[in-house]
Amino acid sequence: MARNTTDPEEFHRPLRRVLVGLLVLALIGAFALWRIDSPRVERFRAALIDRFVPSMQWAMAPVTWAADVMDNFQSYQRLLAQNQQLREELKQMKQWKEAALQLEQKNARLLDLNQVRLDPRLTHVTGVVMADSGSPFRQSVLLNVGARDGIVDGWATMDGLGLVGRISGVGEKTSRVILLTDANSRVPVVVQPSGQRSILSGDNGDLPPLDFLEDLSEVRPGDQVFSSGDGGVFPAGLLVGSVVLGTDKRLRVALAADYQRLEFLRVLRSHALETITDQGALLAPDPAEVQGPPAPPNLRPGATSSTAGAAND
Amino acid sequence: MIDPANRDIWLHRVLFVALALLFLFLRLLPMGLPETASCAPQDGWCRAMDWLAHMPGPDLLLCIIFAWTMRRPDYLPSLLIAGVVLLEDIVLLRPPGLWTALVVIASEFIRSRVALTRELNFGVEWLLVSAMMVAMLILYRIGFGLVLLPQPPFGFALVQVIWSILCYPLVVFLSRAVLHLYKPAMGEVDAYGRRL
Repeated sequence: MARNTTDPEEFHRPLRRVLVGLLVLALIGAFALWRIDSPRVERFRAALIDRFVPSMQWAMAPVTWAADVMDNFQSYQRLLAQNQQLREELKQMKQWKEAALQLEQKNARLLDLNQVRLDPRLTHVTGVVMADSGSPFRQSVLLNVGARDGIVDGWATMDGLGLVGRISGVGEKTSRVILLTDANSRVPVVVQPSGQRSILSGDNGDLPPLDFLEDLSEVRPGDQVFSSGDGGVFPAGLLVGSVVLGTDKRLRVALAADYQRLEFLRVLRSHALETITDQGALLAPDPAEVQGPPAPPNLRPGATSSTAGAAND
Repeated sequence: MIDPANRDIWLHRVLFVALALLFLFLRLLPMGLPETASCAPQDGWCRAMDWLAHMPGPDLLLCIIFAWTMRRPDYLPSLLIAGVVLLEDIVLLRPPGLWTALVVIASEFIRSRVALTRELNFGVEWLLVSAMMVAMLILYRIGFGLVLLPQPPFGFALVQVIWSILCYPLVVFLSRAVLHLYKPAMGEVDAYGRRL
């Protein structure tokens, strides 16, 4: 506004505008180049970061120190909060324990009343975990029981609390257990109390997700998960864990078995289920056992008509 | 040879680069995200703080560029802005060039309106800057969309812009109080006796 027209700026203003335009064009060109030939530009970027970032290394020390101090302060604060929280939980747990004891007694009484016969074939062999060959890609443990002890591929293993995995690979004296968290593990489960069936598929994480749930709204975090026995892989009704909602909003299972301390595992002897092989046949009387007088032997073709007549009688 | 006005310009340029490097350094610190605090469901304050801690912070460099260009366009030549922002682009693993181009265009927009903005009060200036930040965000996302790049969620980006807008007055206040960066008064002249 206040500029007079003879200001020298007036002359290099258009020139400046052109130069800035060129600069912007060059920048957009760089962006286009990155989009077209990304690997080359990324290599350039990597080289530049290589040069730039290590020179900041020395500046890191005081920052690390400050962060440590902060962390320590925060941890004290957290301890206090956690302590209070634990106290509250303990109070609730005592109530629950009382309720559980009462329920257990009630359950025992009811079982007694009903004269329920538990499956006598569910016996187990206990083995000691020899090696834990856990890696980011495979999650399995080795047991010191094998074919010598009658272990068969596919049997379920539990620790004292819940299902751990299944036998996959039996040697003479050892056997390998694929854990439920292994990426190859798929176990049919049922979520109680809603009774939704699902597949527990391991993903090498601590909390394997539930797949193929039919109705997500019926399942809530905290529900119990049991093996369903579908497909004849596992005996039904073994405790697997409880449903939790993962940070990715997927329903996952917090396993009941203590995976941090797998020492003794029970291998459940499950026997091959009886399979139904034939399709449903018509339940009709055998045509050979038709009542009435037998057809005369010389009238073979009329046999059907005579049986029809007999049926009409 | 070194006259005070000229030295002042170069001091501010060096300071700008140093601040940019400092921000870059802070962004690169391996602090990671804070872990999710375990809040009671009814403790709204705790949950709000936790949510904030997981959101991106303000783009202070952008605030500085806008605030300084608005006051003394001669402190920040376009080439310097382009270089610094491009370095930021490259180090922070953004697609190089697009954001830089937008920042250069925005600073040019302000630069060509210095004569106008000089007479505006701070409220209007703040409005102008906020509008430009939002416009830059939208243009940036349109640019991403045009070349079919995957984008961060809109909410995240918007939170950053809102943070930047909220921090702008602070940046202006600090540059005023600490660096004595004013809009040139009427009749003030530069080192060569030209009017600013």
